[in-house]
Amino acid sequence: MVPRSTIYHSSSSTNTSTEVDPVVTCTDVSRHFTRGSSHSGWFSRSSQSAEIVTALSNISLSVTRGEFVGLAGPSGSGKSTLLHLLAALDTPSTGSVTLAGRQTNTLSTRQRTKLRLDHVGIVFQHFHLLPSLSARANVATPLIELGYSRRQRRQRATELLANVGLDDRVHHTPGELSGGEQQRVAVARALATDPDLVIADEPTGELDTTTGKRVLDVLAAVATDRAVIVASHDPQVLDRVDRVIRLRDGHRQKVDETT
Amino acid sequence: MILVSRLTAIASVAVAQLRHDRTRTLLAVIGVTLAILSTMLLAGTGLGVVETGQEKFENAGRDLWITGGSVQFTPSQVGGVQNSIYDAHTFADELRQRDSIRTVGPLLFQTVYVSSDGEEFQTIASMGVPSSAGVSISEGRGFQGDSHYANGSYNGPMTHEILIDERTATLLDVDVGDRIHVGGTITSARNNEFTIVGVSSTGNQFLGTPTVTMPLSELQEITGKTGTDPATIVAVTTTNDSNPQAVAQDLQTAYPELTIRTNQEQFQATLERQAVVLAGGASLIVLAVVAGLTLTLNILLSMVYQQLPQYAALKALGNSSITVTGVVITQAIIVGILGCVVSLGLVIPMANGIDHLATTITGFENVVRISPQILLLGTGVATTMSLLSGLIAGTRLVGLDSIRILRNQ
Repeated sequence: MVPRSTIYHSSSSTNTSTEVDPVVTCTDVSRHFTRGSSHSGWFSRSSQSAEIVTALSNISLSVTRGEFVGLAGPSGSGKSTLLHLLAALDTPSTGSVTLAGRQTNTLSTRQRTKLRLDHVGIVFQHFHLLPSLSARANVATPLIELGYSRRQRRQRATELLANVGLDDRVHHTPGELSGGEQQRVAVARALATDPDLVIADEPTGELDTTTGKRVLDVLAAVATDRAVIVASHDPQVLDRVDRVIRLRDGHRQKVDETT
Repeated sequence: MILVSRLTAIASVAVAQLRHDRTRTLLAVIGVTLAILSTMLLAGTGLGVVETGQEKFENAGRDLWITGGSVQFTPSQVGGVQNSIYDAHTFADELRQRDSIRTVGPLLFQTVYVSSDGEEFQTIASMGVPSSAGVSISEGRGFQGDSHYANGSYNGPMTHEILIDERTATLLDVDVGDRIHVGGTITSARNNEFTIVGVSSTGNQFLGTPTVTMPLSELQEITGKTGTDPATIVAVTTTNDSNPQAVAQDLQTAYPELTIRTNQEQFQATLERQAVVLAGGASLIVLAVVAGLTLTLNILLSMVYQQLPQYAALKALGNSSITVTGVVITQAIIVGILGCVVSLGLVIPMANGIDHLATTITGFENVVRISPQILLLGTGVATTMSLLSGLIAGTRLVGLDSIRILRNQ
């Protein structure tokens, strides 16, 4: 895989056809969970009195390259579940999700992992950076899978960190960085494999207003030639996106906001 | 090239993780080191006991060992030894008549009271021998024959000469030329003074305890055993053209009530009597390995659990299970290598230390022997432990449910 020349502008997305083609589409997607059947370890047991819970119901959505989309809704509305489905971390109970032209529910776990590696970048609320690695090494971790040489990994990670304004924090470990800086490292890591889709779950949830704004600036810049979907309660985030999809109790509300 | 690049990247992440969690890493390395050291030292002790024992029997220069059965110490009886051969001098003379037999040495082991001043007595072991020619003397000289027997009358002159070992010398604070009281009872000991004429460790090496060595008939005299003329064991040397095995069979036919063993058989019998001790040693090896494995696995799992969200995030970002698991397995391998190197560096000095301690306390030398095979065993244990713990901890990550873990954050 050849990385794009910059993190924000894709050389392969300059014509109108790529802008029109959706990066990710979900059609009549529902997701049910069986409450009481989760496994927490090797020796846990499933509950006999399991209860079916519908986290998402008949959601349809399409996001194209260049769109910055917000997912809004109260806790438990299904935002994270929808993000997981769109990122091919999970598969729908009914309906279909098509990511980069492939239906995720037809793929094996390994194939979905490869699909994410090639097409999806994820930013987590709690960053989830490896505390033992420097910022540069953290950004470079997804590139291990692609067989980049050490030099290539370093070069790519250094570029990405420079583009999120952290060129002077390359050698710092997460413990030596502020929350905003850690989140920008996480954004740089999400962009390491040059994905078509970036999803972010409450990316400003742990940040103050000023720091959150800076992270949003980075995500907005990223969205110029990729699809970016952000789940958030934060009005500051929802004000910055192109459109907002509102969820409540697993259903999409009839009127979405367009900013 | 891609594979090499991936492997080096995985190794660098593993090293960074270990360096970051230094206390855990140190504990894991200590766990592996202790397990490997215990394994090597216990196995080395087993090897040392077997090899040294074999050498002792071979160096004794005897071919056959005759006993009245299983030799047992019985502290409740005077003299404290069961299953003796009686009329030992007569029996020895009978054996000497055989063409196939070159030398016969009846040996008597007894517990005796000793004192350097005739006031304070201590109980130690004693060995009676027909001549000091069969014992090694490191200082002084041997004693003059076994004249007291006098064809069974026990009225020949007593030499009142005795050999002691270094531990007895230390115990009684005596040296060559000093006189000590020795007897089967305290009264007998008060009446019998012996002159120390030399230092010999032969008795100590037989019995593993401070031992004095004196003429057989004089030991029988001072322990009140002249009536039965007992010997605990009779050592026999066959002639050069005789087959010890065949001589043993002939003697067994002639003396069915006695137990006659070759060097090898006697050594095996000695080992068999120590079966419980040997089984205990083997159990300790297994326990050491299991304890080391458990400790390493526990520490690795705690490292994995602590960073489960980070590993889940890596998998969510597209890193394969092989990569994520590879980091954990590499950590285990590195811990195993470090533990192995440290224990290989420590095992020789520790074996020497234990040898020194054992020689000081029991008089046995070369108790621990570290051979290349023992070092190989340690390396094998390190490899197995690290791979096994890495695989078990890594298995936890193969089925990692990233969504559940990330959702619970």
